[in-house]
Amino acid sequence: MSAATRIGALIVKEFRHLGRDRRTLAVVLALPVLQMILFAYAISFDVTNVSTVVIDQDRTPASAAYLRSYASSDFFRVVGTADGLADVDRIFDRNEARIAVVVPAGFGRSLAAGEQATVAVYLDGSEPTAARVGRGFAVALNQAYGQSVAVEWADAQGLDVTAAGQLEPRVRTWYNPERRSSDFLIPGLMVVIIMVVAVQQTAVSLVREREQGTDEQLAISPLRGWEMMIGKLAPWTLLAFAELAAITAVGVWFFHLPLRGSLGVLALGAALFVFCSLGLGLVISAVAPTLESANMLGLLLSILPAFILSGFAFPLGSIPVALQAFSWLFPARFMVAISRGVFLKGAGVAELWPELLTLAGYAVVVIAVAVVLSARRRR
Amino acid sequence: MSGRRIRLLIWKEFLQLRRDPLLLRLLFIMPIAQLILFGYVVAADVTNLPTAVVDLDRTATSRALSAHFDASDYFDVVARPAESELQPLMDTGRIGIAIVIPEGTQAALDRGETAPVGVVVDGSDSQVASVGSGYASQIVARFNAERMAGQGVQLAAPGIDARVRVMFNPTLAAVNTMIPGLVAAIVMLSIMAVMGQAVVKERERGTLEQMFVTPIRPTEYLIGKVTPYVLVANVQLLLVALVGVFWFGVPFAGRISVVVAGLALFMLTSIGLGLLISLVSNTRQQAQQLMMLFMLPSFVLSGFIFPIDSMPAAIVPLTWFVPLTWAIQILRGAFIKGSGFEALGTQFLVLTAFAVVLFGAAVAATHRRLAE
Repeated sequence: MSAATRIGALIVKEFRHLGRDRRTLAVVLALPVLQMILFAYAISFDVTNVSTVVIDQDRTPASAAYLRSYASSDFFRVVGTADGLADVDRIFDRNEARIAVVVPAGFGRSLAAGEQATVAVYLDGSEPTAARVGRGFAVALNQAYGQSVAVEWADAQGLDVTAAGQLEPRVRTWYNPERRSSDFLIPGLMVVIIMVVAVQQTAVSLVREREQGTDEQLAISPLRGWEMMIGKLAPWTLLAFAELAAITAVGVWFFHLPLRGSLGVLALGAALFVFCSLGLGLVISAVAPTLESANMLGLLLSILPAFILSGFAFPLGSIPVALQAFSWLFPARFMVAISRGVFLKGAGVAELWPELLTLAGYAVVVIAVAVVLSARRRR
Repeated sequence: MSGRRIRLLIWKEFLQLRRDPLLLRLLFIMPIAQLILFGYVVAADVTNLPTAVVDLDRTATSRALSAHFDASDYFDVVARPAESELQPLMDTGRIGIAIVIPEGTQAALDRGETAPVGVVVDGSDSQVASVGSGYASQIVARFNAERMAGQGVQLAAPGIDARVRVMFNPTLAAVNTMIPGLVAAIVMLSIMAVMGQAVVKERERGTLEQMFVTPIRPTEYLIGKVTPYVLVANVQLLLVALVGVFWFGVPFAGRISVVVAGLALFMLTSIGLGLLISLVSNTRQQAQQLMMLFMLPSFVLSGFIFPIDSMPAAIVPLTWFVPLTWAIQILRGAFIKGSGFEALGTQFLVLTAFAVVLFGAAVAATHRRLAE
C-alpha cells in the first residue's frame, strides 16, 4: 500500500466524520457568514448621533439659536430637554443621554453686550471613545459658533475681521475614502475566521481520537506520523479555503469591498496562513490531555490573539513594546497585513514579501513541532 | 434533598477537575491573559502615530507647524519625504498619516487668506484614520489660535466660552470601562464553557445512566454540578477585579451590593444558557460550537468592546436580547458612576427576567431529561 493510498483513506475517513455530524458542519459553515454580517453591520468606530440633552436656563432667542446648532449637527442627537443641573446626574445615571449642554441665564444678554457668554457641556466619560470624540466636536462646534457670532457682531459694527489668516485642514482618506468599516474589517475578519475554524477543529481532532481510543487503532495501522498529519490537515485545509472563497465573494459582491491587488498573492498568503493555523491546532492537540483543555488552549493561543493582537480591529501601534513583541509570535498579525494590503492598497509581492516569508517560516516550524510532539506522545 | 449527596457530587466534580491539571491552570491563566490583552491593547489610545511631513513651503511658518506635530504625543514624525515618496511609504504601512504643507502657505497667511493644509490618513485602519484626523484638526486649530495671539489680534468681540467637562471618568481611560465589562464577560465565558460541556460529557461517556441509578434527584444533581464551577468563576472574577483595581487603578465608586446582585443574576442566566446548550447537544463538539454561536454575538453586540452608541439604529434593538448587555450596564454603572438600584432599575428588571426564564427552562429541561 502506497503512502498516497494510506493518506487518501485517512482523508476519506475525516470527511465521513464531518459528513456524519451534520450539525457541526452546519455551524462551521454558518459561523463565518454570521460573523461577517455581525461585524460588517454592527461595528463601526465612527461615533455619530450621540444622545444629548439640552438645558436652556436663558430662554432667549439667542440661546435657542445656539442650541439649534447642536440639533442640526450630525454628531449630537438631541433627545430631550431638562430643567436643571440636578437632572443631569439622573439622566447620566440612567443612561438616557451621554452629553448635556447647559446654557445658563444671562447668555443672550452677554452676547448682546459684546461679552464672552459661558456655557457648560457635560460628557459621560464611562464610554471613553464617545466622550473623547464628543469633547472634540463640542469644542469645535463652540469655536465655529463663537466665530460666527463675532463676525456678525463685527459686521454690524463695521469692522474688518478678515485680517488674520487661518490654516484649514483638508483631510483626505486614502484606500477607503468613505471610511466604511466593512472595508476595514472584512480583510481582517477572514483572518480571524480561519483562525477560529482551523485551530479549534484541528485542536480537538487528535484529542478526540485519543479520548475515544481510536488513536490506538491508528497507531497499529501502517500510517506513518507525517502521513497522518497530512491526512488530518487536508480536509480542514479544503474547508478553510472554501470559507475564504465564500468570505471574499460575499465581501466583494455584497459589501462591495474593493479587491485592488492580485488574487494570487492573497491565495498564497492564505495558504501559508492556513498551514500555520492548522499546525498550531495540532500542537495544541498534542499537548492537551482532554477535550476541555484543548478547547481552552485553542481559545488562549489562537482566538484571543487573532482577535486582539492581529490589528484586525484594534491598532497595534501604541501598545507596550513587550506586547508588541508578543504579537509577532502569532501568525495572525502578518496575515492581516497581507489581506489588507492586497484588498485595499493593491500591494503585491514587492511590498508584502517580508510578511509572506515570515508566514512560510512560521508554517514550517510549527508543523515540524507538531509532528515531533505528537510522535513523542504516541510513543 | 440531601446535603450529603450534593457534597459527594461536588467532590466528584472537583476530583475530575484535578485530573486535568492543564485545564485547571488554564482556567486561571485565561482571565489574566484577557485582562492584559484587553487592558493594554483594546483600551490603548492611539498615540505616537508614525507621521510623515511633506513640507513644500519651507518657511518659518511651515517649520513651526511641523514642530507642533512633532511635539504632540499623538504624532511621531518619522519621515520628511518628497511628495512622490508618500505613496510607497503608506503602501508599506510605514506611516499612518501624512501632513502636506503646500507651497505658498506662509504667503497666503500673510495676506490674511485661509490656506489649506493637507492631512492624508491611511483609511485601511479605521481607528487610526478617524482619531488621527481628529487630532490633526485639533493641532491645526491650536496653531491658528497661537498665531493669532502672537500677532496681537485681540478682537473685543463677543464669543462663546464653553466649559467642557467629562464626568465620572475625567481621564477618559478606556481601561476603566473595560474591566467592569471583562468581569461580566469572564463570568459568561467560563460558566458557559464548562456548563455547556457538563451534561453532554456524561452522556457521551455513558456515565449519565450511572447517575440515574443512584438515588440522586435532579435538583441535587443540578446543584452538585453547578456549584464547583460557580466557585471557580467567583475566584476568577475576584482575581480580575483585584488586578483591575490595584494594578490598572480602576476606581470603584459604587456599592458592592449592586455588583453582587447583578453578578448573581447574570450567573444564573449563564448557567441556564450553558445547561440548555448541554441538553440539546448530542456531542461535546456540537456543544462547543453552539456556544461559540452564542458567545460571538454576545461579545459584539453587548457594548463590551464596540460601543453601542456607534452602532446603526437598526442594529441597536438586537443588543437588548443579549443578557451580557444588561450585565455590563449594571457593572459599569456601579464601578464608574456609583449608580444604585434605583438608577439601574430597568437593567435589573430585564436581567431578572432573563435569569428566571433561562434558568427555569434549564431546570425544567434537566428534570425532564433525568426523568426519562
